[in-house]
Formats: sequence, C-alpha cells, structure tokens
Amino acid sequence: MSVVVIGLSHRSAPVELRERFAFAENKIPDALKQLSESGLITEGVVLSTCNRVEIYAATALSPDDAFFARVKKFLVEHHAYDGELGDELYTFAEPHSLHHLFKVAAGLDSMVIGETEIFGQLKKAYDLAFSHKHTGARLNKAFQRAFNVAKHIRTETNIQRGSVSVMSAAVELAEKIFTSLAEHEVLVIGAGETSEKTARALQSRGVRKITVTNRSPERAMALAAELGAGTTTVPFENWPEEFERIDIAVSSTAATTHILDRAKLEPLMKRRKHRPLLLIDIAVPRDIDPAVSELDNVYLYNVDDLKAIADEYLKLRHEELDRCNEIISEKVAALLEANKFSATAGSK
Amino acid sequence: MAWFTDRHCFLLAVMFYGLSTVYSVFLWRKGFRRDEWVNYLLLAGGVALHTLAMAKRGMTLHSCPVNNLYEATTFLLWALGLACLIYSLLPRFKFLTAFTAPVLFTVGIFALMPSLDPHGSKPEFSGALRSLHAATILQSYGAFGLAAVAAGMFLMQQHDLKFHKLRALLSLLPSMQRLEFITFRLVAVGFALLTIGLTAGAWLPRHEGKPYLSDAKVLWSALMWLAYLESLVAYKIFGRTSRRFATGVIVLFAILLLTFGITNHLSVLHNQ
Repeated sequence: MSVVVIGLSHRSAPVELRERFAFAENKIPDALKQLSESGLITEGVVLSTCNRVEIYAATALSPDDAFFARVKKFLVEHHAYDGELGDELYTFAEPHSLHHLFKVAAGLDSMVIGETEIFGQLKKAYDLAFSHKHTGARLNKAFQRAFNVAKHIRTETNIQRGSVSVMSAAVELAEKIFTSLAEHEVLVIGAGETSEKTARALQSRGVRKITVTNRSPERAMALAAELGAGTTTVPFENWPEEFERIDIAVSSTAATTHILDRAKLEPLMKRRKHRPLLLIDIAVPRDIDPAVSELDNVYLYNVDDLKAIADEYLKLRHEELDRCNEIISEKVAALLEANKFSATAGSK
Repeated sequence: MAWFTDRHCFLLAVMFYGLSTVYSVFLWRKGFRRDEWVNYLLLAGGVALHTLAMAKRGMTLHSCPVNNLYEATTFLLWALGLACLIYSLLPRFKFLTAFTAPVLFTVGIFALMPSLDPHGSKPEFSGALRSLHAATILQSYGAFGLAAVAAGMFLMQQHDLKFHKLRALLSLLPSMQRLEFITFRLVAVGFALLTIGLTAGAWLPRHEGKPYLSDAKVLWSALMWLAYLESLVAYKIFGRTSRRFATGVIVLFAILLLTFGITNHLSVLHNQ
C-alpha cells in the first residue's frame, strides 16, 4: 500500500481550470465513495481550495501510469470536463507524494509562501474524510505527520515570519511603536477599499476606536457601519482636530495635493504633547507631505515603504525554503522507514 | 584556595562580561532576530562570579564592600548587572544583556586597575549610615546605567523605524513605548535612591577643618542630582520629546561614568 497524490494547483493550472475541477464540500464524501468502490483507492482525502484541487489516496495498486490514467479519467468524468488536458494535472507516488503533502501542510507550495490558511484547509479536508471513514492507517499516519511537520517548521524556521501584505506590514509597524493597540485610536481618512482593509487589519489587533472621515459623509458612514462597533465618523473639514486623540492615521483619499503637510502637523504635534504618531499614507498620489517625517515622534510610511517591507519578508521566506525542504526530507525518510518497519512486523 | 582572592573572582567575572560583549556584537550583526538565552547565561555567569567576589570582600571586611574606588565601581557594576538580569526576564527584553555587557566589560577593566584598590581588602571606613550612603548611591548609578541601556535600545528602534530599516521589524526588541516607559521608570528609581543616599551622606559626622559644600564629590553629586531632576521634570511636566529624554539619559550616564573616578580622587572627604 502506498500514498499517491493527483491534482492541480495555482502552479500548474489557471483559475478557470481550477474552478472547473473544484469539489463542493458536500459532494466530497460521495466522490471518495465512488473512488473506493471503483477499487482504485482504499483510503482518500480530497483537498479543494481556490488555489488547489488534490486527491490524496492510499492504494494497493501499483502507482504506475495506467493507475494515474484511471484516476484522471475518474476526475474528468466526475466533473464532466470535455476540454483538453495537458500537464495541468500532476501526479506523485511515494516518496514524492509524502514530500508534497508535507510541503502543502507547511504552506511551502502556497501562492504566498509560508501562509497558514492552507494548514486549516488541509486539516478540514482530512477531518471530513476521517468522519466519513475514508481514511485508514496509512493516510492517518501520513496526515498526522504532515501536521506535526508543519508545526515543527513553523517554530524552527522563519518561514512564517513577518508580514507579506501591505496591510499586515502596517499593523506590525504599529505594534513596534505602541505596546498595546487596545489603548490607541485610529483615524481613517478616505473611505476606499484599501482604507477599509487596513482599518480591518488594525481592528483585528484590538485598536480601541476607529474614526472615519471622507469628503462624502455617506461613504464615511457606510464604511463606519461596515467596520461595526467602536467606529464613528467626523466631518471631513474637522479631521485635524482628531489628531489630539488618535495615534495612528491611515490616509487614502483621491486628493491630488497633500492634505497634510509639515506646517499643518507641527502645531498638532505640540497639542498632542509629542506623543508618537504613526502615519500610513496608502494614497497615490500621496496625501501626506514626506517632510512631516522630519518632525520628532512622527513615523510616516507610504505604500511603497510598506510594499518594500512585505517584499523583504517574502525574500526572507524564500531564503528559508532550503532549510524547510531539508526538514521535510528527513521527516519523509523517517515516515517511510516507520511504514517499512510496521509492514515487516505485520507480515511476521 | 587562599591564593584565589576576591579580585581573581572579579577578574573571572569580567572575562565572562567580555565573552558576553563578543557575543553581543554577533547578535547585533544578526539584527537581534533570535530570542535566545546564550548571552543571558554568559552574563548570569559573570554576575554570579561578581557576587562571589563581593561576598568574599564583604566577609573579609565584615561590612558592605564599598570602601574605596575599586569596591565602589564593582558595586555599581554589580547593581547594573543584577538589574539587567531581572529586567531581561520581561518579554522581548532579553537583548538588554547585549547592550549592558559592553558597559560591564569596559568599566570592569577600569575597576581592575591596581591603583583603585591600593590597600586590598582593608576597611577604610565603617558605620551603618556610611554603608547606606554608599550602597544606595551606587545602586542609583546602577539604575541610571540600565536606564541608559534601555534609552540606547529606544534610540536604535526609533532610528530604524524613522528611516524605514527592516531591522526595526525583524529584531525581537520591545515596542518603543515600552522602552520609553522602562527608561523613565529606571531614572525615577535611580533618582529616588540617589536622593536617599545623598541625604544619608549629609547626616554623616563632619570632620573639622575639612570643607563640605565645596568638596568636589559633594558638588559633583549635587550637580548630578540636579541634572537628573531637570531631566525628569522636563520630560514629565514640560513635554520634552522622548528622543531628547533618551539622549539626555545616555549623556548623563556617560558623564557620570567618566567623572566618577576623577571627582572621587579630588574629594577630600572621600579620601580621608
């Protein structure tokens, strides 16, 4: 009995094809049942996310080309796909299948390397198969090891370190300046999508209060309503007055000139008794004059600065890949050895 | 083991501080990315040997070992090292050791100069009030020293954040707000201890014919006390910016370290 993988992902197939082969969650148990009844597999887990559709299976058959051709045929027929298929579908037999499973669990095969969402998705896929009794000794062991390896990689390497999006970089910056965001208020200038995302990221870290201001008060109120409790609005002409209370300002208006410059901020900083102020300018063209960062206790980051942080983190994650692959190779070898031992013990 | 004196013990402690300094350079080059214990353990080894050295000297003297410039300096360093070990246990404060070790090492080398300890372990003065005077003042210097270290960490973080250096995010240092708070608290504690120590000193019996108010050490101590008071008042009441406050704390401690030995030497009251 060996573990095999067949599937397609963001690396091999465009989104149009991925969505064509996606499994609805409630249809997965039936699909696994059909595969088992066909005699192709004895155990199976289907992982279906927006970036990948994969079948992890344990089979008593020899995992050769003929075997994979039959599974491909099943997939094509199951999804009633009548188009051409080339290299979009990949197949792995042991040990590469286990290597792939461990990589997926650790987020090494994800679009954003090191992301953790896939870990939860894989766990959910496994739980679904387990609850419908589609897993057995082989896949149970492989998946448990995969989850352990993912946790090990997370703690032993820097693969998940740092913010790889502009919004999370902004939050990380805030946490480097202020001890607890729960004691600080945020002013959001402009009610666009980026403002909303950044405000949500800050909100998720527990900021005390968010105040929204926009040239159109209706849009400000709509965003405040979207953000929910603890969010208020102020008229656009009054936002400078908020600077006495707030410690973080996120600006993304459509203004063509600077809405905040040094001359405007200097007296405001005096009024706030020079408390640290984090300014996040995600507007293009920029809302805040770069000269304000010459003021003491003012920390200004624009969208390029945040993007540079995210890119640098991504680069660091890529540098960690070799270390992660080494760990995975070791763990796969150990699992195969353990499987060999239990197979020998079982045959005696 | 009679040949193994308290000075040998202190020499070993300084060697540990030296190792910690070398390791600190390595941590600094790596951008303080790993929250680890090696430097903490090196410094803890140094402080343990340092404590042993002071205990040996104290047992020989049958009093608190703060009788000459060597003892005063080692006491100051011990207070600084011990406070650093305690504060380093706070989350994300382990790197305090990397900033403290160079101070302990360089001042430790200075303390080992034989001229600072001319008579070895022989008591040069006695009395509870004298011990209280010397011990609290030296502890206050330890607090000021640690405040300067925290202020240094604050300025480094502020510079990195201001100039968009990735090290600000990658390093496992505390937030700027926390560093600022710790710096203020240490200066306040140091100031309180200095006030107690100076008050105890003022109550000590005066020697006839020896000037008190014009004594170099008394004048210097009064000036240091005023300088720290000004720093605290300007920051807390008159809104001095955190960068200026932190810079002031570092400058004041540097002045304290550089002039401590000289004023002690010039003081008639402290050389009788």
